[in-house]
Amino acid sequence: MRRAPIGLILAGFGLTAAFCVVVLLGFGFSAPQGAGVERSPDVDRWIEVARQTGAVNVVSAIYLDARLFDTLLEVLVFAVAVLGVRFYLTARGRAEPVESIPESSVVRVAANILLPLILLVGIYITVHGHISPGGGFSGGVIAGSGLLLAAIALGTDAVAARFSRRLSDRLEWGALLGILLVAAVPILFGRAPLSNLLPAGIPGRIGSGGSILLYNGLIGLKVFIGSWVIVRHFVDHRGDI
Amino acid sequence: MGLILLPLVRFLFGGLSIASGRTSRLFGVLALAVDAVLLARLALALAGGAPSVLVVGGWDGGLGITLVGDRIGLTFAALAWGLGVAVVLYTWKDALRPYFFMLLHLLIGASYVLVFTRDLFNAYVILELLTLASFLLVGYERRPRQIWASLRYLILCSLGMSFFLLGIAVVYYHTGSLDLAEISAQIAADPGSAWVRLAASLLIGGVAVKAGIFLFSLWLPAAHARAMPAVSALLSGLVIKMGVVQLFRLSEVFPVGLTFTVLGMTTGLLGIVYAVQTYDVKKLLAFSTLSQIGYLLIGFGAGTAAARLGALDYAVAHGLFKALLFLAVGEASRIVGTSDLRALILNRNSIPTATRVALIVGTLGIVGMPPLAGFAAKAVLGSGLHPTAFHAAVALISVGTAVSFAKILPLLAARSSGRSAWNHIAAYSWLGGGVVLFLPLSAAIVPRSLLSATWQWPAYVEAFAAILVGLGLHRLLRNRPFQLPRRIFCIEEGTLVVLAGFFLVYILLQFA
Amino acid sequence: MAGLNGVTISILLFGIGLLGVIFRRDLVVKLLALGLINSAAILCLVSLGARPDGAPPILVPPTATAIVDPLPQAIVLSAIVINFAILALALVFVMLLVERYHTTDSHRIERETAAEEEPWD
Repeated sequence: MRRAPIGLILAGFGLTAAFCVVVLLGFGFSAPQGAGVERSPDVDRWIEVARQTGAVNVVSAIYLDARLFDTLLEVLVFAVAVLGVRFYLTARGRAEPVESIPESSVVRVAANILLPLILLVGIYITVHGHISPGGGFSGGVIAGSGLLLAAIALGTDAVAARFSRRLSDRLEWGALLGILLVAAVPILFGRAPLSNLLPAGIPGRIGSGGSILLYNGLIGLKVFIGSWVIVRHFVDHRGDI
Repeated sequence: MGLILLPLVRFLFGGLSIASGRTSRLFGVLALAVDAVLLARLALALAGGAPSVLVVGGWDGGLGITLVGDRIGLTFAALAWGLGVAVVLYTWKDALRPYFFMLLHLLIGASYVLVFTRDLFNAYVILELLTLASFLLVGYERRPRQIWASLRYLILCSLGMSFFLLGIAVVYYHTGSLDLAEISAQIAADPGSAWVRLAASLLIGGVAVKAGIFLFSLWLPAAHARAMPAVSALLSGLVIKMGVVQLFRLSEVFPVGLTFTVLGMTTGLLGIVYAVQTYDVKKLLAFSTLSQIGYLLIGFGAGTAAARLGALDYAVAHGLFKALLFLAVGEASRIVGTSDLRALILNRNSIPTATRVALIVGTLGIVGMPPLAGFAAKAVLGSGLHPTAFHAAVALISVGTAVSFAKILPLLAARSSGRSAWNHIAAYSWLGGGVVLFLPLSAAIVPRSLLSATWQWPAYVEAFAAILVGLGLHRLLRNRPFQLPRRIFCIEEGTLVVLAGFFLVYILLQFA
Repeated sequence: MAGLNGVTISILLFGIGLLGVIFRRDLVVKLLALGLINSAAILCLVSLGARPDGAPPILVPPTATAIVDPLPQAIVLSAIVINFAILALALVFVMLLVERYHTTDSHRIERETAAEEEPWD
């Protein structure tokens, strides 16, 4: 393995160091205390936002209502990632099934007990996304990790038996279309698309926040199924986990 | 409302395309038809008076995402639509999976959003979506060289977008807003601050990786040359322009005049130098894309209305004739079996007539033969460039373009046999028609007063002189090959060059 | 000031990631370094929201007088998911490359690709 030429090393370290210094200076010294601290909207503004959407979690109110468009695009990115994994891995053909080393009975029993709890926690966090920290993304990832635990401990076949190929593909695609349709439905009611259609409700209760709950649920479903589909494809075309 | 319906409908069609197998093509046609109606409505709204402004979801501008349907946005949306038509036509008979069409819909839908958006973070998400869709399209045929080219593309673009995100952080830290209008107002109130220059260099450095500027977009030759012809046409014609549109929006907010002109001259000349010495037709087209972006940057940087509108006009023209060239060259390479220019010239009689005509039209367009697309746009651009240094740079780039394309001449003069498929002929006619009839098309982009530059004699003299000088230089240089550094296209050096480019922009901004 | 420590760390991490992308030859390590760069940019953005004595942005009445800035947290959610998607697909591509070239060394892949390159380039 040849070493990188000395010029490259010097240039690399030098430019990177200079970059860090320049950016830090841009943050530190050009304005006392950072003017953005004063200029960003104050609490009253956020209270107004929360009141308008009905969600007490302001972060949810922002990314699922005011800036819903960005979230929609990012769900599309996620969907394309899942499709891309499928498309590129299916080119390689099926791998031979690798003899999986059975886990000890302690792990299997524990996984059997933990799996429903993990899924429940995932659902809880998804559904309460507009009241406490959480939301569709975190809840979906938690539920997906639960499935991954089951796949490692109990074997991928056991999990794949529950979530057949067609079911998971259909669910995932359905979740994406569901999100797009919920975004477009306000047109039928004369409102702008991507606006919050359902009533705001009493803040702090589950039934508040309008369509934020709907989006959280659909996104949670999508992330959950999507992460499982990715894992399944990797296993199908590479062997076992 | 049309502003948000346009991408939403596209994305819906994209989502539906995966489910259906055989009807993907019909969905493509349907999507294009629906888009045409929506675009026409937006154009009517624009012609009627004020451009349509929409804050998505009905929130006020400070928090929500603002979309403005102005003339520039509509022009590029129409370009995206037109290239979509060309690609759907060209690939009509190819056995493409529905996955391809989903990516195509995603690409065009994302372009519809980027041309209208006035929000920095929305631009970030869309640019990342464009990166994803185009890198998946480059690797579509799953050949190892394509995979490597697209992986390099992905790594460099992801790096660039991280710079962009850091730039957003700097801007938010100092202004508290992500909306370009509000940021512009705050910068205008205090133009000399240091953070403006840092933010501008981070943002511009990030977008420059996607926009086809020489130092930053070193992934471009490999990626565009190795992809499928339809994909190369889309990349060179559309995706690069999206980066350029974002640079344009940034240029309205930050003081980047000098930076853009210097960058433009660099990329224009360096691209041409590489284009002259390559004998792979697709790499020639890719390097020439790098160089033509130089025109656009010089135009944006010059500051006069004529230069800016001329640059945008040229962006549309370039989209049309570069896509035409890539499609025609793709077909020719497929028939002959190679993209080596010398082999193509040897086998030139096997290239069908329609392909040859398409090559002729495209080449004439790119070298600026009056009255085709390139000439018209360059004339408007030139009329706005007052310092002679800029004018000389543009002239030099034109000469270089003529030199690099003079190699193709033997290919154009041949006795062709064979017919192309009807869908290829349709695609060529669609794009070629746009190139030939560009003057009436420009009337929609450029006001009549500026368009008068296209029928004044200095423009004609310049155009013909550039072509003749180029032909002469080509004769001189023909038998003197020279070596150019190739290491910069590898990934480590590429990253270093991007960093160096960031510093170049930063230093240039100090003089703004 | 409250958020500046997070910002400093994030810029340093960004620099480390840059060095990783430039100097490490293994493709998987390059992708890890790219992930570090992306995470550093995200950390920078989130740290900007920090406020002294700021409460979490959950506004159950009665509300606190100062909360941290929720906007950066909301927008980095999109950035995180996008970076995840890009990393996943890049890993798939690395898998395909390894299958073909039997190495994750970027220099070797570069050399073998250049060797396959047409001689007229």
